[in-house]
Order: sequence, then C-alpha cells, then structure tokens
Amino acid sequence: MRKLSFRVWVLIIALLLALLMISPSLKSGVLIKNVDQESKAFESGLRNGMVLKEINSQEVSTLDDYYEISNNLLSNSSEKRISIVTKEDSFVFIDSNISYISVAKLPKSNIKTGLDLSGGARALVRPINTTLSDEEMADLVDITSQRLNVFGLTDLTVRSSKDLDGNNFLLVEVAGASPSDLEDLVGKQGNFEAKIGNQTVFIGGEKDITHVFRDAAQSAVYQAEPMGDGTFLSRFTFTITLSPEAAQRHADITNKIAIDSSSGGQYLSENLTLLLDGETVDELRISSGLKGQVTTQISIQGSGTGTTPDSAAKDARAQMHKLQTLLLTGSIPYQLEIVKLDTISPSLGESFTKNLIVLAVSVFLIVSLVLFVKYRKLKLTLAVILTMFSEAFITLGIAALLRWNLDAASIAGIIAGIGTGVNDQIVIIDESRSKDNSSIKEKIKKALFVVFGAFFTIIAAMLPLFWAGAGLLRGFAFTTIIGITVGILITRPAFADIIRKMGEQ
Amino acid sequence: MEQQTTNNQTHISKKHWYDRYYKILFFLPVILTILGLIYLGIFYSANGDIIYKDSSLAGGTTITLNERLDVSALESFLKSKLEEVHIRTIADISSGEEIAVLIDSPLRPEEIKPIIEEFIGKPLNSENSSIEFSGPSLGSSFYKQLIIAIIISFALMSLVIFFLFKSFIPSIAVIFAAFSDIIMTLAVVDILGIRLSVAGIAAFLMLIGYSVDTDILLTTRVLKNRNISINQRVYSSFKTGIFMTLTGLAAVLPAFLLITGLPDSFRQIFLVITIGLFADIINTWLTNASLIKWYAERKGLN
Repeated sequence: MRKLSFRVWVLIIALLLALLMISPSLKSGVLIKNVDQESKAFESGLRNGMVLKEINSQEVSTLDDYYEISNNLLSNSSEKRISIVTKEDSFVFIDSNISYISVAKLPKSNIKTGLDLSGGARALVRPINTTLSDEEMADLVDITSQRLNVFGLTDLTVRSSKDLDGNNFLLVEVAGASPSDLEDLVGKQGNFEAKIGNQTVFIGGEKDITHVFRDAAQSAVYQAEPMGDGTFLSRFTFTITLSPEAAQRHADITNKIAIDSSSGGQYLSENLTLLLDGETVDELRISSGLKGQVTTQISIQGSGTGTTPDSAAKDARAQMHKLQTLLLTGSIPYQLEIVKLDTISPSLGESFTKNLIVLAVSVFLIVSLVLFVKYRKLKLTLAVILTMFSEAFITLGIAALLRWNLDAASIAGIIAGIGTGVNDQIVIIDESRSKDNSSIKEKIKKALFVVFGAFFTIIAAMLPLFWAGAGLLRGFAFTTIIGITVGILITRPAFADIIRKMGEQ
Repeated sequence: MEQQTTNNQTHISKKHWYDRYYKILFFLPVILTILGLIYLGIFYSANGDIIYKDSSLAGGTTITLNERLDVSALESFLKSKLEEVHIRTIADISSGEEIAVLIDSPLRPEEIKPIIEEFIGKPLNSENSSIEFSGPSLGSSFYKQLIIAIIISFALMSLVIFFLFKSFIPSIAVIFAAFSDIIMTLAVVDILGIRLSVAGIAAFLMLIGYSVDTDILLTTRVLKNRNISINQRVYSSFKTGIFMTLTGLAAVLPAFLLITGLPDSFRQIFLVITIGLFADIINTWLTNASLIKWYAERKGLN
C-alpha cells in the first residue's frame, strides 16, 4: 500500500473532525422548545431541550404527529393521565391538554441557519438621545433577555453590537415562528405604574412586586362581550403579590381617600390607574373594604379587543402575558427606539434553503464538468472535486463548531470561497504544466506566490465587513475568510501532494 | 518537433499583431471607465446618489409575500394607493413556480401592512409573509459605513498589492484595474435599474478582493517568467486567467438560469460579482496587460 503523505493525513483528519462537528443525524422525534413553568408537565420534570419520542404510547416522529396527538388531547377538556416519553426519561402527569408545550423540528445536524433561512425575528434597538456605557449596555442585554425568557421565548440571542460609527445597538434574534408583539417586549421601556390620583402606589419590578401569578387559578381571561359596534372586548385578570413596603404604601394612600357615597359605600372616591409607559392600561375601582388595609395580594385587570369573540380573547391573553412579563422584569431607565425589525416567515425560508442546496450542488457539478472538459483527465478532475468538497465541508464544520448561524450571504461566501479554491488549483495545474523551462520547484513557488497574493487581497478586502453595518454582514465575510483559509492551510497542500503523486505514476 | 515549430510561428505572428495594437487596447477600458464616471456623475445629479437604494439602505419596509396572487392586480392596487412602491416576483424558472412577491416601500410596517391586508383579504402573519423594516437613520448610517468599508477595503487591497510587487507601475496597474471594475460594475448596476441592498453593497467588497487574482497572476508571470518572451508570458497568463474567470462565470450561471428562487441578498451578491467578472475581463486583459507589457519592455525584462 502506498503511504499517504503528512498533508493528506491532515486533510483526512480535518474532514473527520468536521464530520464530528456537524454530526448529521437521522433520528426521529421532535425537540421541546419550551414548557410553561407553571404547568403540570414542568412540575413532573419535562424541560426544554429534551427530545420527545412518545405521548400516551403513540409514537411521535414528526411535527405533524405531535400536533395531531396534541389536538386530540385538546378535543376533550377533562383532566386525564398523560404520559410522555423523551429520549432522556419518561414523565407522567394529570392535565387536560399539553398545548403549553412548544416544539420544533429536531435539527438534522449541528449546522445552524440564519434567520433569513430558518425564519424568526430580529430587532436592532438603540436608546434615544443617549449613548450607553458598557455596563449600561450589559444591563440592557440582561433585562431584555430576562423579559424574553419570562415571556417564554427560549431560542434567542440577545447581545450588544457596535458599528463603525461607535453606535451601540442591542441585537435581539428569535429563531422560528416569531411572536407578533416582539416590538413591545424589546422596544418599550416597560415602565409600569399603579397610581391613585397623582401618587404612585407601586411600580413594576421585583422591588415592589414579589410575585406575579400566572397559573390558571389566579389568572384568567373572561368570555368576550360584544361592544355594540361589531367589535368584542374580553377582560383579563391576574393576581400579584406586593412587597410589604408597597402594601404599606397602598394602605397609607387609601386611608386618606373618602368613600364614594354615590356607589352606596361600595367603592372609594378615587380609582387605581394602571399605566404602562405613560398610557393607561386600565382603571380600577377600589373596594371600600381595602381602605387603609395592608393588602399584599392585588388583582390587576385589563382587556383585549377584536372583531370576533375569539380574537378578542386571544388579544386579551396576549396583553395579559405581556403585562405579566413587564411586571416581573421591571423597566429600562431610558427610551428605546427600534431601528430595524425583521420578521421572516419560516416557510419562505424553507423554500429558499431548499433552492440554495440545489444551487450549491449544481454549481459543484458545472465546475466539475468545465474542469473535465478543459483538462480531460478524470483523476485530476476528481482531485479538484475532492478539494472543493473538502473546503466546503470543513468550512461548514468550523461554522458548526462556532455555532455560527449561516444566512444566505454566508452561503454566497462559501460558494465564493470554493470559487477561489478552484482558481488556485487552476493556477497550480497550469503553472506546473507550463512549457517554461524553469524547475518544478520554481514553478510551484511562482504558483504559490499568486495563490497567497490572492488570499491576502481577499482577506484585506473582506475585513471591514466585520464592523460595518452593526456586524449584520459578518457572516458573509466570515465564511469567505474561513473558506479560503481552509483552502490555503489544509486542502491546497494536500492537493499539491495528490497532483505530485499522479505525476509520479 | 514539428508541433513545436508551428507553435513558434503562430506565436511570432501574434506578437506582431499584439505589439502593434497593445497601446490602443490600453485606452479602450480607460475610456469606458471615464464614461462610467461621467455616467455616475450624471446619475448623481439626477438622483442625489450614485446608486438606487432599497429600503434596507434608504429606510422603509420590504414585505415578502408567500402567497399565490395576481401580481399585476396587486401592483396596480398598491400604485393607486402609494406614492412610491416597488414590486418584484421571485419565481423558480426550472419549476415555473412563483415563490414570493417582494414589496418594497419607504413606509413603516404599520402603515403598509393594512393596505396589503386589504388586498389579500386576510391578516399578514409569520406564515404568509416576511416583513423587514429599517429605520431611515439606520439605513443611511449603514450606507455611510458600507461606503467607508469599501474605501478601507480598497486601501487594504492596494497595500497588499504594493507589498507583493514592491514596485510602483505594476502595482498601480493592478489597482487601476480593480478601480475600473468597481466603476463599470456600478454603472451597469445603475443602467439595469437595480436597487441595491446592504448585501449588494457588501458584494463590492468581495469584488475588490476577488477581481485582482487574475491581475496578480498576470503581473507575477510577466515579471518573473524571465525565460520566455513577454508576449508569451502575457498569453500564457491570459489562457490560465480567462479560464479561471470563465469557470467563475459558469459557476454563477445556474443562479440566473436554473434555480432563480433565491433570497434577494444572495441574488444581489451573485449579480454584482457576475457583472464585476465581465468588467474584470477587459480591465485585466486590456488595461493591465498593456501597462505591464509596456513596463516590462521599458525595464528590459526580456
């Protein structure tokens, strides 16, 4: 057996490592994205990140399986025993349905695609009229991720980003189907105030509010009622626990308010106004029994509207959810502006991804064909195809290792990287076959001068993209640079050895 | 042996032709570049900028509808309601299937959404549409930064070229070819009426890096292959270089002829690179080749 050279071994090892990083899998099941923390399933130990295999002994191998079983459970509103088997463990609990578990397709590999291909939402936010210090920015990142986590979003990235002008941005990316109210969660200060007259009783955040009830017993959405103008209104209510200080404040303020005699002594003469970022959420009458009382449990109310009873109830549920989230996480001490907001349809992304894969394969085939027509040597063409494939594969492996999200521009970068690789190989082949009578060593040296020259110019040219435009184009620069670097360091040396071996034969 | 002689003869006749005309060939791309600059100047005075910008750069909303609908009816409906709106369909040529309709307008999402919803008769959600919004201030700051990025990119590329060749004329020849590539590509993009996005401008950075490889090949061979004639060096690099460019063009072909249902960012990158590769053919093999030949002859690098 012929001995493989060191450089070819490096290539083989790099390919194996890339395979390990990408780790393609054909396993069936669905991935649990989120389990409501107040649910029975959560209590029984079910968590996001687990891989769902079975529900009530019925196999779940695709998303459709899951939705069918989940809908069957919904059709019967009585409580029943539900058993769930995941790859990790099995769980049994009693509940009426499992609609609070959100699931997603099990990823086929570690390669992550960007928002434009997987679908999702992205928001770029910046404070109005102020620049934030690094600490303030870190606080903003923290409070925003906390808000989104409390809201129930798990597959998300929240980070700060700087551009060439030195502007600070908050970048939020949510993968998959995006919530319609993302803009309210990331763009609002979330300044919640409960006021009686012009006195503040309590504000949002853990200082005044120690707990927000979100379970079915202490939070509810009521049946929608017709408003008379064809629209419907649905009310919601949930309970919060005030800190002792806030409860004392409530007692002190209500103590000074007279009882409203026109209500037959049932209510106080002033109302409790709930405000969010200066806008009234609701105005509640205060029962006279609460006058001067140190009550820690307060009920918060509000409403949602819609053109049908269903949409009104849905709106009320969304409003309640948002308010609960903002009450729990407190406010941001400056005004924010959403300067970019993209919500990308997952189904559109899916057809784009499919087309990009087909395109990549056809680019591959066409280049191979062109090379074969030119050089008319099967082995040589195969060697070029092997290097093209290796370069793309190792680049994908590195992207998987770094958990880099590949967007459409990144894929253009990978294809361009392969193009540079092919060009380099053409230079090496032509130079080594040239009729000029210098030694083969001289020829390879000249070829490598061109190859390295081209390498450094592309790196130099792509580098500024890392900073321009809040780094949104980083993927394009990243895959191009990784691709050509892999080419220079790993595949090109191996290719040169393979060509030499062919020449010796 | 006979083969060898015929090769030399054709070569001698080629030399004759090329030696006589190469200085004229030099001016052809130079004139085109000057015309391109004049066109961009006129374009600038007419439009206030050297390119048409889409909403990712000018500020506004792009809505991609994932619905089968009557596009021309949608277009006349929107044009009757809105002052400025651009509509384009993304269809897959191979299957003939329409994948999406792109609606680009300077409005905010909450302003344009109801109008589209009125036409399609149902609400827009993440199932049937993608909505991309850029604030006008962000768009203009992105644009400014990308222009700066192009300038930095060009400067860094020039530095690398000077470092590689360490002499003035050969380096300037390469840098001028890259400059002409950009000007010609910009002019063609404008003539085609393409509204560039953030990704489209980023493609110019790649063009800067990508287009100089044939120039490096040419310059290296002319300056270093001392044991064949200068014309032979130019011709041998032309054979290799034009094959590299043609392979590149063949590789981008399916994106325009076979699989056209691609994200807009991807399409723009490919389009800019393709136009750039065409421009690079004349700029490398006419301007750069003539200059480096003239330089090599003056320096007596025979």
